[in-house]
Amino acid sequence: MASTACFMIISKNDIPIYEAEVGTAPKKEEAAHQHQFILHAALDIVQDLAWTTSAMFLKAIDRFNDLVVSVYVTAAVHTRLMLLHDSRNDDGIKSFFQEVHELYIKASFTLLTVFVIILLNPLYLPGSRVTSSHFDTKVRALARRSE
Amino acid sequence: MTDPASTALGKLLLDEITPVVMLLPTPLVEERCQKNGLTFLQMISPFCVFNNIDVPVRTASEQPYRLRKFKLRMVYASDVQQPNVEVTKERLKQVITDAGNDEDSDLYLDPSPIETMSNSSRPEFVPTWFQYFNKEFLRSVSFSDHEAFDHPVACLLIVSSNDEDPINKFVDLFNTNQLPPLFNDGAMDPKIPKYYILVHDNQDGSSERATKILAEMRNTFRSNDCRLLCINSSQDGSVDHEPNPWIPHRSKASPGVHLGGLLNNEDIDEIKNFVRDLSSKDIIPYMEQKVRVLNQQVSATRKGFRNQIKNLWWRKGKEETPDPQSVGQYTFNSIESQIRVLGDYAFMLRDYDLAMSNYRLLSTDYKLDKAWKRYAGVQEMMGLTYFMLDQSKKDAEYCMDTAFSTYLRIGTSGKGNATRCGLWWVEMLKASGQYKEAAGVYFRISGEEPLHSAVMLEQASYCYLLAKPPMLRKYGFHLVLSGDLYKNCDQIKHAIRAYRNALSVFKGTTWSRIRDHVHFQIGKWYANLGRFDVAMKHMLEILACSHQSKTMQELFIKDFFQILQKTGKTYKISRLQLPIVNISSLSIVSEDHRTYGSAAAVSVKESVWQSLEEEMVPSLTNAKTNWLDLQSKLLPAKLKQSNVCVAGEALKVEIAFKNPLQLSIPISNVTLMCEYSANETLLDADSSSSVSQGAEDGYIATEREPSSDTSLFTLSEVDMTLAGGETTVAHLTVIPRKEGRLRVTGVSWKLSDSMVGFYTFEPELIKKRISKQKRKANQSTSKLEFLVIKSLPRLEGVVNNLPSTVYAGNLQRLSLELRNSSEIPVKNLKMKISHPRYLNIGNPEVLDVNFPACLEKKSSSVHKDRDLDTTKQSETVFHFPEGTVIHKDTPFSLPLWFRAATPGNVSLYLTVYYEIEDKLTVMRYRTLRMHHMLEVLPSLDVSFNISPCPTRLQEYIVRMDVINRTSLRSIKLHQLSSVGDGWQISLIESMKGIFPSGNLVAGQALSCFLKLKSVKTAETATAETSISKGDGIDVQLVHGSSEAIFDTQRPPLVNFHHYERVHQKTSPQENQSTVDFMLISQMEEIVNESSELPRTPQIFSHHVCHCSVTTKRPVWWLLDGPRIIHFNFSNSFCETKLKMTLHNSSNYTASVRISTFDSLPGSSPSGNKVGWHDMSSQPIDDKVPATDVTGTSTGKAVSLESVPPFIWSGSSTTRVKLEPNSTTEVFLLVTTFAPGTYDLSNYTVSWNLQDSNDAQEKEGTCQGHPFYLTILRQE
Repeated sequence: MASTACFMIISKNDIPIYEAEVGTAPKKEEAAHQHQFILHAALDIVQDLAWTTSAMFLKAIDRFNDLVVSVYVTAAVHTRLMLLHDSRNDDGIKSFFQEVHELYIKASFTLLTVFVIILLNPLYLPGSRVTSSHFDTKVRALARRSE
Repeated sequence: MTDPASTALGKLLLDEITPVVMLLPTPLVEERCQKNGLTFLQMISPFCVFNNIDVPVRTASEQPYRLRKFKLRMVYASDVQQPNVEVTKERLKQVITDAGNDEDSDLYLDPSPIETMSNSSRPEFVPTWFQYFNKEFLRSVSFSDHEAFDHPVACLLIVSSNDEDPINKFVDLFNTNQLPPLFNDGAMDPKIPKYYILVHDNQDGSSERATKILAEMRNTFRSNDCRLLCINSSQDGSVDHEPNPWIPHRSKASPGVHLGGLLNNEDIDEIKNFVRDLSSKDIIPYMEQKVRVLNQQVSATRKGFRNQIKNLWWRKGKEETPDPQSVGQYTFNSIESQIRVLGDYAFMLRDYDLAMSNYRLLSTDYKLDKAWKRYAGVQEMMGLTYFMLDQSKKDAEYCMDTAFSTYLRIGTSGKGNATRCGLWWVEMLKASGQYKEAAGVYFRISGEEPLHSAVMLEQASYCYLLAKPPMLRKYGFHLVLSGDLYKNCDQIKHAIRAYRNALSVFKGTTWSRIRDHVHFQIGKWYANLGRFDVAMKHMLEILACSHQSKTMQELFIKDFFQILQKTGKTYKISRLQLPIVNISSLSIVSEDHRTYGSAAAVSVKESVWQSLEEEMVPSLTNAKTNWLDLQSKLLPAKLKQSNVCVAGEALKVEIAFKNPLQLSIPISNVTLMCEYSANETLLDADSSSSVSQGAEDGYIATEREPSSDTSLFTLSEVDMTLAGGETTVAHLTVIPRKEGRLRVTGVSWKLSDSMVGFYTFEPELIKKRISKQKRKANQSTSKLEFLVIKSLPRLEGVVNNLPSTVYAGNLQRLSLELRNSSEIPVKNLKMKISHPRYLNIGNPEVLDVNFPACLEKKSSSVHKDRDLDTTKQSETVFHFPEGTVIHKDTPFSLPLWFRAATPGNVSLYLTVYYEIEDKLTVMRYRTLRMHHMLEVLPSLDVSFNISPCPTRLQEYIVRMDVINRTSLRSIKLHQLSSVGDGWQISLIESMKGIFPSGNLVAGQALSCFLKLKSVKTAETATAETSISKGDGIDVQLVHGSSEAIFDTQRPPLVNFHHYERVHQKTSPQENQSTVDFMLISQMEEIVNESSELPRTPQIFSHHVCHCSVTTKRPVWWLLDGPRIIHFNFSNSFCETKLKMTLHNSSNYTASVRISTFDSLPGSSPSGNKVGWHDMSSQPIDDKVPATDVTGTSTGKAVSLESVPPFIWSGSSTTRVKLEPNSTTEVFLLVTTFAPGTYDLSNYTVSWNLQDSNDAQEKEGTCQGHPFYLTILRQE
C-alpha cells in the first residue's frame, strides 16, 4: 500500500459507510478531512464516468496534487469502494493496482464477501455505518497484504 | 455557434488587443484637466471606444471591408513598459481587498440554496469582480517585448496653450531621453506617427492665443497632424453629466470631486470628434498602410519556394547563436519582428486570415530558433485567431495548450504570460460550454502565488457549478481550497464567502470530517471578524464530533468556549448536542396511591405488585357503584384518566445523558422544565378533549425559571461531570406545591455559564416505564401531564439492617420502620411479604430483647410466644395490631425475622397498605411498596442419610454430612435438633473425638453419626420418658457445652421451619415416618479492629425436612439371641434358641413366612416372582459387635463348604399372621456341632400383604440379615 491511502465505502446517496486510513505513513490529523474532500469531489467524476463505461474498476479517475483516486463501482447496490493513494512510487502503485484489481476479481471474494455479508445481514440497515470490527480488520489486512 | 466576437472572449479581445496610442502631455495640460478631477488620459478615455465607427479598410489583398467596432488604448508614455512585479501584485491585492469589502453587506446572510443557483441560466452569482480582476491581470503582463500588439501605433504630443513656447515644448516632448526604454533598446519602432495637440482652457481666456499657436504649429509640423482641443468651456463648473462617462475611469484618489464639471456638451462633442477623427482619419489608415507595406516586404523576403529554402538554410546556419532570447536579435527591424507586427496589426484590424498566415510563418521560425517565449506568444495569438475565425476549435485549443505549456517551460519569466494565456484559454472553453475543462485550466493556472491561486480556484469552482451536469462536489471542494488560500493571505472575508458557498453543498452532509472542517473554519473566521453570533451558529454544529480524534475534539471545544466567552451572550439552544439526551431512557415515576420505598421498587413490574396487593387493596372494579353514588365516583374516575401526583411529593424523572466526546465535560444545573396551570382542579371527567384544552388555556401561568416562583413547584438541580464516552443517568425531581396541573416539558442544563441547552420532550416519543391504570379511553392526555392533588400522608418505610449479601441460612432480626411525615395520621395498616420463607413478622416485644439470646431455651414459658404464630396466616395478609395508627413524628417499628433460605439472588417484595384517616382526601388508601434484592451465598450443605439400625427395631443410624461451602469463612456447628415430638436423637460418639476443633473451615466436610430413636417406642420401653423428651430432640454439637441450646420450638425458628417444610415437601401424601432436622450453626464475624461493639456471632439455621426413616419394606424383623455361648460339645450338640421379632409397618395385614435353609444363603431360590427383593447384601455400616474370635474367616470358610456346620432345627417353615402395625415374636432354633462363628443368615422372610393393591408391596422375599453366633468350647 502506498504511504498515504484512504479507503472508503460510499453507499447510496453518497453516504460514507466505512472509512479507513490504510496508509503506512503516520496518520495526520489534518489530512483526514482533506482525504474526505478529495474522495467526495471525485464522486462527481465517478458519476460522470458511470455513464460512459461499463467497467467496474475505474483506475485513477481523479487526482489532487499527488494523490490519486481509484474507484470500484459495484453493480448491484450502487455502492462505491474508493481508494485514495499517492503515486510517489510508480512501480509500487502499479503493482498495487494490479493487486487490488486481482483482489477484486479473485481474492476479493473475501473482501466482497465480507461486503456482501454486511449487506445481507438482516440487522444491517443499508446506508448505515459499517461498524463491524471484523470487517475493519479484514480490510486493513488486505491493505497490508497489497503492500 | 455564435459569432466569436460576441462571446466573452471575443469582447475581451476586442477590448484588450487594440492599438495603443502613446500620450505625452505637458504638466500644464494635466493641470488644466485636473480642474475636472481628471487626468488627460481619463478625460479622453471614455470616447476612445467606438461601437460604430464605420471605417472602410482594405485588406492586403485589396479586399474591402468596413470596421465597425474599434477602440484605442490611450497610454501615457511613462506606462509603456512592463509593469513592476511588486506594484502589480499590490494592485491586484488591492482589487481583491476592495472586492471583499464591497461584499461586506451580504456576508452574513444565509447562502442561497444551491439548487436555485445551478438552475439559473446566467451565472449572476459569480462575483462580478472576477472580470475586473482578470482584466487587471491581463494588463499586468502587457508591454512585453515579444509581442507587438502593445506597441504604440501613434504618439500624441499634448501642449497647453498656456505653455511657454509651445512649439519647443512639442519638440522637447518627443525627446528620446524621455521615451520608454522599449523604444531605446530597439524592441519598438520609434518611427511612429506623431500628432500635435494643443489644449486650450477656455477659462484662461479667449481662444485667440490658441489659434495663433495652432497656426504656428501648422507651419512647423505637418499641418494635418496638428489639432486644437478646447476644454473647460463651462464657467460655473457645475455641469452634470447623466450618465457620467468618467465614472468607470475615475481614480480612487479623488472620490469627492465633481467629475467633468467644467466640461460642457460642446467640449465633450469636441473631444469625441477629435478622437474619432484621430482614429478614422489617421490611425486606421496608417495601420492599413503599414500592413500593406509590411505584407509586401514579407512576401518579398519570405513567401515563395525560393525564400523558404533560403530561410531554412539561413536559420540552420544560425543554430549556434548562443542567446536567441535577447532583444538584440529581434529588433523591430528584424524580419521576425516585422512579421509579428504585421500579424498583430492585421489582428487588430480584424484581418484574421492575414494575421493567421503570418503567425504561422513566424511560429515555425521561432520554433527553429528555439525562441520559446516568442514562439509561445505566437502560438497564443494563433489560438486566439483561430477562435476569432471560428474555424477549428480543436486547433485553437491545441495552440493555447502549446502556448501555455511553453510559457510554463521557460520558467518564471513566462509565468505571467502563462496565466494570461490560461485566462484566454478558459474563456475560449467557456465560450464553447466546456466548463469542466475550463475548471481544469483554472486549476492549472493557480500557481504559487496564493492569492492569485485563491481567485483562480474560486473561478474554477464556479466553472464546475456551471458544467452540465453541475459538479457540485467539485464546486464545493475548490471553494474550500480557495477559501484556505484566501485565509492564508488574510482575506478573511473572501475566505468566508468561499466557505459559505461551499456550505450550500456540504450542508447536512454525512461526510462528517468535511462538515466539521467547514463549520469549524467558518466559525473561527467569523469570530476573527468579531461576528461571534454567526460564529456560534457554526460552532454549535461541530459540538458532537464523536468521530473526531481526541486532539481535534479538544481543539473544537477549546475554540467553542473561547468564542462563547467572547460573544458575551447567553445562549439557549434546543437539542444541544453536548451532551446527547437519550430520550428513550426517560422514565418518570409518579406516585399516586402507590408509593415506592426505593428506586428499585419502581422498576418492578406492576403485575408483581398487583398480585401481591390483591387481597389487601379494595378493588375498584369490584366496588361497582350505582348511579346514585356518582359523587364519590367522580374523583376516582378522573384519577383514572390522568396521571396523578400529590402535592408536596416528588415526581422523579430519570434521563440519561451521553457524552459523545472523548473528553470529560462538566455540565451543571441539570434541571427539569415544567409548566404549571392552576385552573385544573375540577374538570368534567368524561370529556378528555377538554382536559387538554383546559390545560393549554392554563399555560398562562407557566414558568420556566426555577428560581422565580417556588410556590408552584420546586425543581432539583444536579451537577455532574461526564467522562469521555460515558452515559450518566441524571435523577431529577420536581415537587409540585399546589393543586393543579403540572406538565414536564423538558430538561435543561448548562454547558457553561452562558450556554444553556435544553431538550423538549415530545409526548409521542416517550415510552413511560411505569404504566398507569389502563387508560384506553384517554389517549390524548399526555403522559407528561400530571394532575396534582391535595397533599396526602405518605408513609416512608425502611427495613433496617437488611444486608445485601448474606450467607444461606443466616438468621437475623430486622425491623421495619414506618414513618409518616404528614399531619394526617394513617391507620388500618396491612402488610404482605412475597417470601415468608425469607421474612417473617415477629412479635413486637421481640424488638426489645437480646437477639441471639432470646432464642435460647428457657426452662419456663415454653409456649408463651405462640400467639404470633405466623404459620397460621402464611398465605394471607398480616394485619397490624388493632388500633395501630401512625402519627407524624412517631415512627412505628415492626420486628422482622429474616432468614436466607437458599443460595441465589432473591427479590423480596413488601407492600404495606394503609388508609388515610381524613375522609376528605381524594384517595382513601395508599400502598407502600418496597423491594429488596438479596444475594444469598452458599454456606453449609447439610444432608442426612438414615438407615435402620440392624440391631434394634425403631432405631436408626443417621449419618449427617456437612460441607462448608463458603469461600473464606469458618462455621461453628452448634446444635442439631430434630423437630417435632416423634423422635429423639443422640450422638453415637462424642464430638470431641471426631471433631475436636468444632470449627468447620471453608471447604471442609464433616460426617458424623447419630442415633435416632422413635419416642413412641422409647416411651413404651422405658420409664425415662421425661428426661428423653427434654434432651432427646437436641444434640449439642459443640463440645464444652457451655453454650445454651436454642429452642427450636419457638418463633422464629419454628416459623421458618414451617415454611421450609412446606417448601421441601416433595410428595403430596403425608408420610408419618419422616423426621425433620434443624442444624444450627454460628459464624464468627470477621475480625474488624475498628468495631468496638461486642461481636455477636451470626446464627445460621439449616433445615432438612422429610427425611424418611422407612425403607420400602413393609415387614421388619430382628433376630435376637445370645451372641456368644460357651458350650461343652462333649455331651451333645449345642442348641441355641433365637428370637425373631417381626414387625409389620404397613397398613395391611401381612402373612409372613420364615423359611430356613441348610444350604448356602446365596443360592436361595428367589424365583422370578414380582415384588421386593433385597439387593443390598450388607447394611452400610456394619456395626455388628466384633467377635473376639479370630476365626470369623474360618467360620466363613466353613460355611462355604457344601455341608453347613449347623442346621436349623424345628420346622423349616414358620408362618405367622401380622396385623397392621403390629409386632410379633417367632422363635427359631439352631443346632451347632462344633465351636466356631456362624453366620446365621441362611433364611428368608417372605411376606404377602392381604388387600394391598400395590404390586410392589404386595409380596416379597428377603434374605436374612447376618447374625453371627459364636460358640466357644466350654472347658
